[in-house]
Amino acid sequence: MTIKSINGCIGCEECVKSCPCDVIRMDPDSKKAVIAFPADCQICHLCRMYCPVDAIEMSPEKSIPVITSWG
Amino acid sequence: MTASAEKSTMNRREFIALTAVATGELAAFGMSGWAQNKLELDPDSVTNTDYVTDVLVVGGGMAGLFAAVKAHDAGASTLIVSKGRLGSSGLTPFAKGFFTYDPAVESMSIDEFTNAISRSALGTNNPVYTRQLAEHSLARAKELREWGFFDQTLANRPFMVPIQERGIPLIERVVITHLIKENGKIAGAAGFRLDAEETITIVAKTIILCTGAGAFKPNGFPVCDLTHDGTVMAYQIGAKVTGKEWNDGHTTRSVNPAACYDNWGDMFNRIPSTNGVEVHHDLGVDLNYRAYVTGNPVSGGPGGGPVTEEVAGGPFVPEEFQRDFGPPSGGPPGEGDAPGGRPDRGGGPPPGEGGAPGGPPGGGMAGSTMGGASAGMAIHKAEGLVPVDDRCASNIPGLYAAGDALGSYMSGGIYTQIGSSLAGSAVQGAIAGEAAAEYAAQSKVPAIPDTRLKEIINDILAPLRREEGYGPAWVTQTLQGIMIPNFVLYIKRAAMLKAALAFVEELRDHHAPMLRAANMHELRLVFETRNMILSAEMKLRASLMRTESRCSHYRLDYPDLDEENWRAWINIFKGDDGSMQLEKQSFDSWPLQ
Repeated sequence: MTIKSINGCIGCEECVKSCPCDVIRMDPDSKKAVIAFPADCQICHLCRMYCPVDAIEMSPEKSIPVITSWG
Repeated sequence: MTASAEKSTMNRREFIALTAVATGELAAFGMSGWAQNKLELDPDSVTNTDYVTDVLVVGGGMAGLFAAVKAHDAGASTLIVSKGRLGSSGLTPFAKGFFTYDPAVESMSIDEFTNAISRSALGTNNPVYTRQLAEHSLARAKELREWGFFDQTLANRPFMVPIQERGIPLIERVVITHLIKENGKIAGAAGFRLDAEETITIVAKTIILCTGAGAFKPNGFPVCDLTHDGTVMAYQIGAKVTGKEWNDGHTTRSVNPAACYDNWGDMFNRIPSTNGVEVHHDLGVDLNYRAYVTGNPVSGGPGGGPVTEEVAGGPFVPEEFQRDFGPPSGGPPGEGDAPGGRPDRGGGPPPGEGGAPGGPPGGGMAGSTMGGASAGMAIHKAEGLVPVDDRCASNIPGLYAAGDALGSYMSGGIYTQIGSSLAGSAVQGAIAGEAAAEYAAQSKVPAIPDTRLKEIINDILAPLRREEGYGPAWVTQTLQGIMIPNFVLYIKRAAMLKAALAFVEELRDHHAPMLRAANMHELRLVFETRNMILSAEMKLRASLMRTESRCSHYRLDYPDLDEENWRAWINIFKGDDGSMQLEKQSFDSWPLQ
């Protein structure tokens, strides 16, 4: 599931801003970050690295079929 | 059970069931093909905000930072817009080696350095830009040090220091989709915000594209936000583009191949450092060649693993630059801007960048080494706008590019000087910033007719207004299936390139115009997908035209260097009839204007 979960979000938006692929958005009601577009996650961990409270858990698996050069 | 054993025991019914699951998954993630547009906003309520500036910098990586700072310091009003966050998009967050030429330390003169690059690059580099890198890199490193760049792992923090000190306006999470030309000169740009239902239009005397290069949103290297946006926008208004036949050579692993961080973790976590002269000829495509000849057509792909014997033929490496990578190190190199080199030598690629020998293991990733992690990207500084001078100007007055958006051939058609990618972006950004400020000082504020702006805004919003259409993610995956295989992008031959071109033309003509978007995120995907399709066409046409093998371009049907006919770069431009045109430009020359 690429970016896997966000638990303990404090609503600072660091992860939303730091994601190069626009995967994370703020929930307008809860004012917390949510995984909005997981298929576009490139598993770079920038969101996790910028998160000040270690709220983000990652997985090495992509959520959609992966196309590679071979194999 | 091994993958092959699994495959051999799977019966037809199981296969169909699996396919159905995969298709269902695709639909669940919005990857359906032709479908109704389940619109989440009202396109008619999208507002527009306009801006005016002397210099518009598009892109917030290393090149964009220096372009903005130097343009501002030269007296121009400057605005930066970035698709992501300053210092946290494109390749900048991951490149940690910064080349500096320090005359007090180096034994090689700048002339000798430039000549060494030219020998490794087999003449494909532009020595003017190679020399410029060496001359300016130390000064740029000094400024970065003052801003704290070499004390951190999160580049946004130090990048914000000079921007805030100068009060340079910065708009993040804006997708620029159109460059605007009036009376033959740059007049502005347009795009939209990701976080608001809002388009933006910018009147600008000059634009510096610091948009990076691009790829096909490949799996295993952090370039999925780089989709040749600057190059394609500039091509659409008449700029010349180059460098499309070359291939970056980064690798990934066969297990969880998309896991960039897990495969390149050390690079993400490392604090940036400087390094001196270290000229290589790291191909990457030699691994692809080995994969092709040892397995591909027969068994569906090689298993990787330790190399026990040499293969005949393949890409040429000058004797002076041949290296033995020694014992396996167990993982990809530790730095951001060195290609994977020759990881076939026992599963471990060459030492990392930045003077740190012995590429450390990745984050425990398993599986054999696999090429194509950066599929669709050419060599750093080789693809992008064709410069018409040594100050990063394009053939369109007022339009500049720097870093990976400029086809400066600073390095050549092969990655030569370690750490030069990040340093080259800093050097060229600064030069372009000063040049653009000078141009702006002599120019009047351009006028863009309202009718033209309305036409562009309508074009931006059209995918939102489409009641049904193709999903951009599905078209992107179709494009990946055409372009990423080893036997199309890396090990090239005419018949296969022409076959792929037919598929890509189909996407260009019958899919790109009918892409749908339900929200601002998908609208971004629409424009990224279109840009990748055009870049695919450029890559295929340039690869067909270059009937030789040189550096990272390898033709199975033309395996040798052709010094008589191909001491030349390929420039690509839009013809009067709208079709893609290609021309040769001799090495060591500037384009005719």
